[in-house]
Amino acid sequence: MSVVPASVKPKPAVAALDVPRGRSRWWDREAPLAYLFMVPGALLLILFMAYPFGLGIYLSLTDKMVGFADFDFIGLENYQYLLRDRVFHQTVVNTFVYGFVTVPFKLVLGLGLALVLNQRFRLSSAIRAGLLLPWIVPTAISSLAWLMLFDPVLSPISWVLREWGLITQNVNFLGDRVNAMASLCLANVWRGIPFFAISILAGLQAVPQELHEAAALDGASSWQRFRSVTLPTIRTIVVIATLFSIIWTFADFQLIYVLTKGGPANGTHVFGTYAYQTMGYSALGQAASVALSMFPFLAIFAALLLRQLRSED
Amino acid sequence: MTDPRVTRLLDEATKLRLSRRSILRRGTALGLSAAAVSPILAATGKAAPARAPFSIRQERSLNILQATYFVPEGQEAFTRLATDWGGQNNVSVTTDYVAWPDLQPRIAAAVEGGAGADVIEMWDTWPYLYQENMVPVQELAETVGERYGGYYEWVPLTAAVDGQWYSVPHGSSSVAYAYRISLLEEAGLADPKNNFPKTYEELFAVGKTLKEMGKPLGQALGQSLGDPPAFAYAYMWSYGAMEREEDGTTIAFNKPEFVEGMNTFIQAWGDAYDETGLSWDDGANNRAFLSDQISATINGSSIYLAAQGAAEGASTLDYEVQVDPADIWHAAYPAGPAGQFCQLGSRSHAAMSYSANQEAAVEFLDHFYQEDVFIPWLEAQKGYLIPMAPGYAENEMYTGDPTLAPYPAVSSYARNKGYAGPADQKAAEASARYIVVNAFAQAVQNGDAQAAIEQAASQLERVYGG
Repeated sequence: MSVVPASVKPKPAVAALDVPRGRSRWWDREAPLAYLFMVPGALLLILFMAYPFGLGIYLSLTDKMVGFADFDFIGLENYQYLLRDRVFHQTVVNTFVYGFVTVPFKLVLGLGLALVLNQRFRLSSAIRAGLLLPWIVPTAISSLAWLMLFDPVLSPISWVLREWGLITQNVNFLGDRVNAMASLCLANVWRGIPFFAISILAGLQAVPQELHEAAALDGASSWQRFRSVTLPTIRTIVVIATLFSIIWTFADFQLIYVLTKGGPANGTHVFGTYAYQTMGYSALGQAASVALSMFPFLAIFAALLLRQLRSED
Repeated sequence: MTDPRVTRLLDEATKLRLSRRSILRRGTALGLSAAAVSPILAATGKAAPARAPFSIRQERSLNILQATYFVPEGQEAFTRLATDWGGQNNVSVTTDYVAWPDLQPRIAAAVEGGAGADVIEMWDTWPYLYQENMVPVQELAETVGERYGGYYEWVPLTAAVDGQWYSVPHGSSSVAYAYRISLLEEAGLADPKNNFPKTYEELFAVGKTLKEMGKPLGQALGQSLGDPPAFAYAYMWSYGAMEREEDGTTIAFNKPEFVEGMNTFIQAWGDAYDETGLSWDDGANNRAFLSDQISATINGSSIYLAAQGAAEGASTLDYEVQVDPADIWHAAYPAGPAGQFCQLGSRSHAAMSYSANQEAAVEFLDHFYQEDVFIPWLEAQKGYLIPMAPGYAENEMYTGDPTLAPYPAVSSYARNKGYAGPADQKAAEASARYIVVNAFAQAVQNGDAQAAIEQAASQLERVYGG
């Protein structure tokens, strides 16, 4: 047993600060410091998100034309126009079809891929890294590759099918409304699978191995272990990835613009491409109203996302 | 009598000792042309010649924005002439070429941001959209017009704004039917060089045989600015319809004779055309023709010129050209019951008013339209751009190769977008919404001519405010 001399008092664990009790400096308190750290982020958000968003709302209530200094406040006229605009109605339907057809495919295929990649096998790390490629390659570039694949004249897919004698005319990938939407969905699914796969893979790696072992000892089959052990553990990450994907798919522009520009006959317009087309005749106010029309839908999805996150807390 | 605006500007320039740039800006604000401002520049104390001995020679700069050329030699010629002029005038010149669909977004960004290219190539209807950002060039445009014998009627209707010039026109890429002589002969057409179908119905009949031979007709009907409207507007007029009447607001699109014509086209689309055309843009029909997939299509002379280049071993294409240029011929548009028509809109060059280099921009335009510069530039494009005035229509580039003869001839039966009104802001909206083109695309997809025309008519109604 060691003896501490009476004259030696133990030092405090933290060096004493030369601050009178009750008069700590403001940056030593958590709340002001937290606000201080938030300032750069908040400024950036205000500058690059809130201000353009507010400006967008304002412009959507005007008849502003690009290049003309004078414009008038016209209230909800642009939105009233959209309510009677058949192309806009079609745009809304197209956006929902595009969003709700692709996301389930991305989810299921991404989940399957993640389950495969969660196994240890040769080159698994390299394959995991390679899997990210469709996600990493800029969309504009990968869209050009799809454009080449779907080309009405020089498509390699059509060429192979012709060589095999399966078709006599090139496949009409983008010249038929249904085919065009299916082609867009295919390209979107290809691009979106890695996001699901990597997100879910991260979740899978957090599943405690002991739970699997215990379930196996209790005689659970692979499917039972997947349903009762794996799925509940990755549920949160699946929901979050799905909601993010819906939001991104709704707001898609590049893929559709490169492949179809909204055609044929407006058959594949989504909010982004229709807003861009509206800008073609300089109607900035009207284009803003088209773009902002997707906001209520995105807000609902975002609210669902936040609710889910809170409930998981 | 002197223009009071000139007197006022001269007074201001003298009293306030305005710089050359300020005088130009003020002149623009007063709506004065470059030619009207130039005597003031010369007369005022701060004009460049007077200051020259004392000033350090400053290099000016000029950025020129155009759409990509379908004839690459023309693009090279333009870059060369612009940089040569810059070298001679101590102006640092840069030239940018963007894909056709990207030109207008670039212009929109520039005018809204108040910064961008100093000289921009405008297409028909755009001067109406961007006039507030273009330097008035009334005198220069009129001088150029007079130099070449006066503009064709379709030129001021598509490049001027209610008779006022904010850009100087330089003609247009033209359209005609490009076709394969051998294939039409095989389809039973005697002497195809001189016997191309004179009506759409005759064309569709030959097209049916051609499609049975595996070489259908080709027509772009995608959402693109060149070939799809070149066909759709012409066909609409040939079957008695138009976007609006002369009053500018009454829609004349939903006509029984046009519904009948559309039904004929729906039938022909299945019988005679390559049905992938619904997704074609302005380049896809070139690829289809040169890859031996189709027998005829509406196009500029670029198909023929590309085939010539390939035959000479100088192809600039990234695919194999399988067609001999000697097998290609061109013909004028067929006619419909209401006559023979085609759609034309002049392109033009504008000096932008937001530019700090307006003076150099106007000087460049003045130089560019001089005969010894302008004509060689057109010649480099081998007749791809048709004349905006008759003064050089007899040039060898248009008459030297008989297969290209139908291209300049379209001026005699041309109408503009927005007809029977001008190619104004509303015509720009109807065009950008692809209302006329999509009426055709929808009709052939749904097989219901009446419904497609009614829907398009209601869209036109909203645009033109009828």
